[in-house]
Amino acid sequence: MAAAEEVAEMVNATFSKAYLFKLLGSELADKRLADQIYKMGLDLEASSDEEITIDFPANRLDLIEIVGFARALRNFMRKGKAAKYEIKGVHIAAQIEVDPSLKDIRPFISAMVVEGIKFNEQSLKHLLNFAEKFTFTYGRQRKKLALGLHNLDTMGTDLRYEAAKDEEFVPLNSKSKMHFSEVLKKTEKGAAYSGTIGGASAKSYPVLRDSKGVISLIPIINSERTKVDVSTKNLFIEITGTSKYTVEKSVDLFAALFIDMGAKVSRVKVSYKGTTSLLPRLQSATMDIPLLAIEGNIGVIIGFNNVISLANKMGYKAGLVGKKVRFWIPEYRLDILNQQDVIEDIAIAYGYDYIQPVPIYAEQAGEYERSTIRNQRVSELMMGLGFSEAMNTHMTNEASNFSDMRLKASDHDHVTVRDAKVQNITMLRTWLLPSLLRNLGASAHEKMPQKIFELDLTFIVSSMGVEEKYKLAGVITDPKSNFNQMKAIIEEILYDLGSTFQVKQNLHSSFIDGRCASVRVDGREIGVFGELHPEVLGNFGIEEPSIAFEIELW
Amino acid sequence: MHRYELAVLKALQSGEMLSLEELVVRSVLGKDAVLWAIENLSGCGAIESRRESHDEAVLTEEGARYAKGSLPESDMISRAQLEPIAVQSLKDNESRIGLQWAKMQELITIDKGMITITAKGRAAIKSGIPEEQVLKRLLKDSGAVASLLKSNKVQIENLSRRRLIVISSKSAIGGLKITAKGMEMLGGSPKAEEIEALDRKMLSTGSWAGKKFKKYDISVAVEREAAAKKHPLRGMIERMRDVHIAMGFKEFSGPTVIPAFWNFDTLFTPQDHPAREAQDTFYVSHPSSLALGPAGLVSQVKTAHETAWHDDWLAKVAMQAVLRTHTTSLSVQQLYNLARYKDYKMPLKLFTIGKVFRNENVDYKHLLDFYQADGIIVGENLTMANLFDTLIKLYKSLGMKVRFKPAYFPFVEPGAEVQAFYEPRKEWLEVGGTGILRREITGITKKSVTVLAWGLALERPLMIKDDSIQRLTDMYNGGIGWLRQRRLQKW
Repeated sequence: MAAAEEVAEMVNATFSKAYLFKLLGSELADKRLADQIYKMGLDLEASSDEEITIDFPANRLDLIEIVGFARALRNFMRKGKAAKYEIKGVHIAAQIEVDPSLKDIRPFISAMVVEGIKFNEQSLKHLLNFAEKFTFTYGRQRKKLALGLHNLDTMGTDLRYEAAKDEEFVPLNSKSKMHFSEVLKKTEKGAAYSGTIGGASAKSYPVLRDSKGVISLIPIINSERTKVDVSTKNLFIEITGTSKYTVEKSVDLFAALFIDMGAKVSRVKVSYKGTTSLLPRLQSATMDIPLLAIEGNIGVIIGFNNVISLANKMGYKAGLVGKKVRFWIPEYRLDILNQQDVIEDIAIAYGYDYIQPVPIYAEQAGEYERSTIRNQRVSELMMGLGFSEAMNTHMTNEASNFSDMRLKASDHDHVTVRDAKVQNITMLRTWLLPSLLRNLGASAHEKMPQKIFELDLTFIVSSMGVEEKYKLAGVITDPKSNFNQMKAIIEEILYDLGSTFQVKQNLHSSFIDGRCASVRVDGREIGVFGELHPEVLGNFGIEEPSIAFEIELW
Repeated sequence: MHRYELAVLKALQSGEMLSLEELVVRSVLGKDAVLWAIENLSGCGAIESRRESHDEAVLTEEGARYAKGSLPESDMISRAQLEPIAVQSLKDNESRIGLQWAKMQELITIDKGMITITAKGRAAIKSGIPEEQVLKRLLKDSGAVASLLKSNKVQIENLSRRRLIVISSKSAIGGLKITAKGMEMLGGSPKAEEIEALDRKMLSTGSWAGKKFKKYDISVAVEREAAAKKHPLRGMIERMRDVHIAMGFKEFSGPTVIPAFWNFDTLFTPQDHPAREAQDTFYVSHPSSLALGPAGLVSQVKTAHETAWHDDWLAKVAMQAVLRTHTTSLSVQQLYNLARYKDYKMPLKLFTIGKVFRNENVDYKHLLDFYQADGIIVGENLTMANLFDTLIKLYKSLGMKVRFKPAYFPFVEPGAEVQAFYEPRKEWLEVGGTGILRREITGITKKSVTVLAWGLALERPLMIKDDSIQRLTDMYNGGIGWLRQRRLQKW
């Protein structure tokens, strides 16, 4: 059992337990670990002796790398201290000049230099997995953001990010040179991501190059020359994308990761025509929130001291400023937009399970929609007439909705949908009878008479736009069924609805000629009934004569 | 005596036992007429009918698929035979089922997350898995179940428990024979003064007085009458609606086909968000775009997006017509039209129940369209504690216990997943999402209000309540046979 509701947005990651415990500085029993994960608002997806897989909220990118998760878990268990991340140096050799002609392709870049890193198989694997997840989710499959890791020691100087013609270079994990156009057409990564730079027939290509040549065809693939492996000591990391803010902010997340891993991070100078940025900025923003706003939002009395302590638990530094609490937003958090986001963190730290429910006092009395009451009454009437209730999907196709009913789709203006994953789903139903006939065709061997009805929305397109109307339809499949039986039922339904109506001879392709009538209320045609055409019955696999009606409700 | 009854008795006059089919031929009547006559004649003891029952096994959709191919555990051991498999690598549902059954039958062992085949497993590859053989045989001959129940009882029970087959007992008329009573009736000399059927004349004249009524054989089998039934999902919808009404909520409704603007943009979902892609959302190709609404609102939404997401916000993306993916799209329209509720006092409590659509592959747990209940409470100084209180009471009224787990939905902060306790499996299942709507969204009210909101599933609580419903798809395609098998929802 799953799905069928508002689905929380999740991204999962699998971590080595041994490596996690090493980062934490101590081991945790499975039960304790599971408990902490639940309390942090995460889902423990799977756990074995070696690994755990956790579902993370899609907005918490900072947790998806094991170093970031360990940092958060340490804080949450009050074993760590909310750190302040700082960078001192600017790396001189790695300066990037940005070519203005990239404006319409992929204009922005940020970068940093990491020195003295000590990779092992585990840490490198986790980092690369994270980079992939980061660009896939937050980077929108590299469209918005992409990340490149390079071995700094293989790089030249005078970096330039520019739009280039179709050149050659040796792409990652390849032995020979390839043209950019070939990379897009022939490699797996090229096929997957060429759409981000205008498709396989692009005329110019975003590239990052240094004094020795191309180091990356962005955002597709790096060069073999700057390949990173477990022996790499010094890294050059670049992030490119379409939003300057996002490109420059997200590099902070990586800076914090490497500082936590004990490496030295230096800034890189990025020069656009006229302006320069020193990145990562790694500036901690602050937010001042009145204690009352926090307590008033969660609905519990917490107090200043506790709020500060709970903030620390979530990785914030916090302090008092008058009647407000000042929060230093951790540099690696990309998801804090306003004070509600901070308050949620305090609520999580406090524990949802500990929030005592408080009743709301309101004077309001419940009220039904008018259509609800009418629909319920009409359904009761139908059951009184011996009809069982069917409920069917609104989605169908032209064959079922029209052709099988001996109607032409071109005579009807209906709502169509595109790209359905399920075959033969192309439109919203314009009427209910085809669905009911499908239900009856599926139960040909059940005892007769078979009487079913449905009351639900139907959809047509008119000059008014999409018209969504409630209709009522019923079918009786029975060897003894005939026109007058249905006429008697229609008369009863319309009597009950309290309307005066006329029944007129009608020609409708779904019914037998001469045994079909239209129903008019106030001079307007609201529906049709009669004996179903044998060809229609055949189309739905119904083996006995059947009578049917369908009317609009008003 | 009715002429059908007479014809049937005459056909049986020789005293030999006839099958129903023979009787139809000899009486020169239609089958329906013969059945009718048999019912009456057995009722008055003129004929004896022998009833025969036999078991029949029907393969479920899943069962048929395995019968045509192979059982998941069979695939599992074939794979494990080649090399040990990491449990972690088994992502799809089918392999997990395979893992579970192979392990239970000791065809494999799991050690440190690695699956290895056992000697028993190797033997099973040679000789075949008994369940699979039984399943394949039933595919060919559903009647074989009777003999299989003797020879392979365990396997049949396993298959039935796994819902790969459904065993039903069919009862049919075996042989028919005339009784002494029937002969007597043919002879035209019914026992004096015994009343056969009571009629209007006897009642009005009182002629029945002092006479005996003929005794009927009450052991005669009848077919259960088929009542007209409410759809079980309708029952759930009505319960959910009534609970909201009882808690003082006003119901509202709104359109199904809407511009992405109301489904996503007003709910602060970035224009490049994955949920907006055609793989998850149904885009309407006709009409392909719909009007956005007042310019003031549009520019407010544009500003909120561009400030938060640092990306251009495009009206043409927002105008694309979609089938609503959640009823929250209707709630946000109420927030924009709060003036409509000027006669109501804060806090204002509103709800809607409607269909929502997702572009999914349909299987037993996914549907293209399903129901959602969406509620909002608009007021000043509302809290998470108020929200939890409301939902705890709401579910208590439905007979369910709930808890709240922190969770991320783009339109609420703080946000929580609503989980209900599922007794049979002793586990918590997600039944909805809730939280306090983001200020970027409530800004469209032009008021300083807090909005508590939730979107709740209906199909899943129904399955929690009624464990005779195993697959979501049954609800929509079950046909009248499925409906007739439902029982009263006594909750």
